[in-house]
Amino acid sequence: MRRLSLQVVSTGRFVLAIALVAFASLASASAQVRGTIVGPSKNNYPIAISPLKNLSAAGGKDIGAQFADIVARDLTLAGLFKVLDRTAYIEKPDASGINAEDINFDNWSVIGALALVKGGYTVEGDNLTIEAKLFDVYQRKQLAGKRYRGGMDLVRRMAHRFADEIMAQFTGERGPFDSRIAFVSTRDGRFKEVYVMSLDGGDLQQVTKSQSITVSPSWTPDARSLLFTSYKRGNPDLYQLDLISGRETRISQRAGLNLGGKMSPDGSTIAMALETDGSSDVVILDRSGELVRRATDNWAIDVSPSWSPDGRQLAFCSNRGGGPQIFITSAEGGAARRITSTGDYNTAPAWSPKGDRIAYVSRSEGAFDIFTVKTDGSEPRQLTQGSGNNEDPSWSPDGRYILFSSSRRGHKKLFITDVGGVSQVELTQGGGDDTSPTWSGWRE
Amino acid sequence: MGKRVLCIAVLSLLVAVVGSGCSSKKGAKPGSGTSKIGEEGIDSVGSLERLKKGQKPGSGEGGPLQDVHFGFDSYELDEQARAALRENAAWLKENGSQKVEVEGHCDERGTVEYNLALGAKRARATKDYLVTLGVSSDRLTTISYGEELPLCSEHTEDCWARNRRGHFVVLGD
Repeated sequence: MRRLSLQVVSTGRFVLAIALVAFASLASASAQVRGTIVGPSKNNYPIAISPLKNLSAAGGKDIGAQFADIVARDLTLAGLFKVLDRTAYIEKPDASGINAEDINFDNWSVIGALALVKGGYTVEGDNLTIEAKLFDVYQRKQLAGKRYRGGMDLVRRMAHRFADEIMAQFTGERGPFDSRIAFVSTRDGRFKEVYVMSLDGGDLQQVTKSQSITVSPSWTPDARSLLFTSYKRGNPDLYQLDLISGRETRISQRAGLNLGGKMSPDGSTIAMALETDGSSDVVILDRSGELVRRATDNWAIDVSPSWSPDGRQLAFCSNRGGGPQIFITSAEGGAARRITSTGDYNTAPAWSPKGDRIAYVSRSEGAFDIFTVKTDGSEPRQLTQGSGNNEDPSWSPDGRYILFSSSRRGHKKLFITDVGGVSQVELTQGGGDDTSPTWSGWRE
Repeated sequence: MGKRVLCIAVLSLLVAVVGSGCSSKKGAKPGSGTSKIGEEGIDSVGSLERLKKGQKPGSGEGGPLQDVHFGFDSYELDEQARAALRENAAWLKENGSQKVEVEGHCDERGTVEYNLALGAKRARATKDYLVTLGVSSDRLTTISYGEELPLCSEHTEDCWARNRRGHFVVLGD
């Protein structure tokens, strides 16, 4: 695979200053978008996303529309915005300017836009330059501008990155879209293989060809490699696959389960469930698979470790008290404390990147649903309800969304929800089951 | 229970009358040209290998080693499972050179990772009971497939009960 490089240049010194001023005006116009996300609703912020203008002499007209499509899809997924229908746009991209002084903002306010994305692109050989700008229509001012340079294959990523920038302008925090998700699927037959794609479904790629069972993919913190457990050599061993070099390493091949490997936030160690005489415990390995220490050691089932963002603690699932419940322990070992107090079947903990909450799966009234709870066990919150089985929660890098699998439409497919559980959007369709999604951190 | 005892009694009678041809697990005596050959399948292919060949997982039906079944989220062996294991132990003692792999399986409900760990517990509980019955532990290996290789795929109690199983694969000498 080709190494991707993406150069970002801010389009001017004034951007930051203007953004600060304009942010105040935007915030007053759209106070509802700050803080907790509560979409979709009629109050979603109306934004127009114009196709980019072709600034070079020739070629590639679809790039401008492609960029706009991807930004629009991301912002729709975000649950904060109402992206206005492009057919209503009065200004045509190739017959209008991309600077504040060249834009007729009346053409945008009349269709109801409060914010506007415009920009241009230049193609020189295999090199693409995209200039993208966000405007406050009411204030007639530029809020943000970015120039991205890279290969022609990077147009999708440039769009995701600008969507993240728009999110930053509106909420004060970068959006989660310049990232990828990995998941397990049976879409191509009876085997379980790992696939990788963007949040918008683009750049789908099958990355394992094990012809076997593969489970529990997870990203390394650099968003470059995946850990997963595969039966391809018979025993369920832990592997690491570098998606850039394509190199695969077998990390742990102890007899029995080598399951659910998660690299620590600093990238130095791996937590994993290791089976000894039928009993699974959480252990810490170094990156080459040598045992560093046991985080748990008892006769019960201990599985599914998830690191706290500071790397000091682990949430995990244990049935030491009877049914499976969520516990937290120090990564150094020692006593564990139970944090789930409702429900008799709680599994699959995922620690939020913000550190404040843990997502998990709970069985309620015969179905499985996604919950979150504070790390002290207080304020459990149910995100899914009455819609099939919902499992495998994974947080977005910004901690505002949760990716999960759901059987609500029959086959298990991937969905995204905001942390309030209000906006739930289907990400995958088609045959086979898509399960165990895992959301990467931001890409370099 | 009464029915089961009666059933066994009738079967024993049949075995006594018909001789080695009925349900013998060892086949006909050598050289007895007139008696029928006893034949039954021995599952020597594990469920993962079967998947690779596009076959359904083995069920133990008709074979010398019966599957054992478990309750939801349980790895406890009930009396029915223990009775099955006593018969399996008898076969294992009669076929003292055969090595066997015990597969632990779960139904589809619950989390993949937890079910893999639960399947490991089921396989281990099954192995441990056979060891207490006198089967040498070095003849028995275990592997968990969790909910990955179900026998049936309906979302019903009957199907879930079939899928929660310990299954035996005869590996050979």
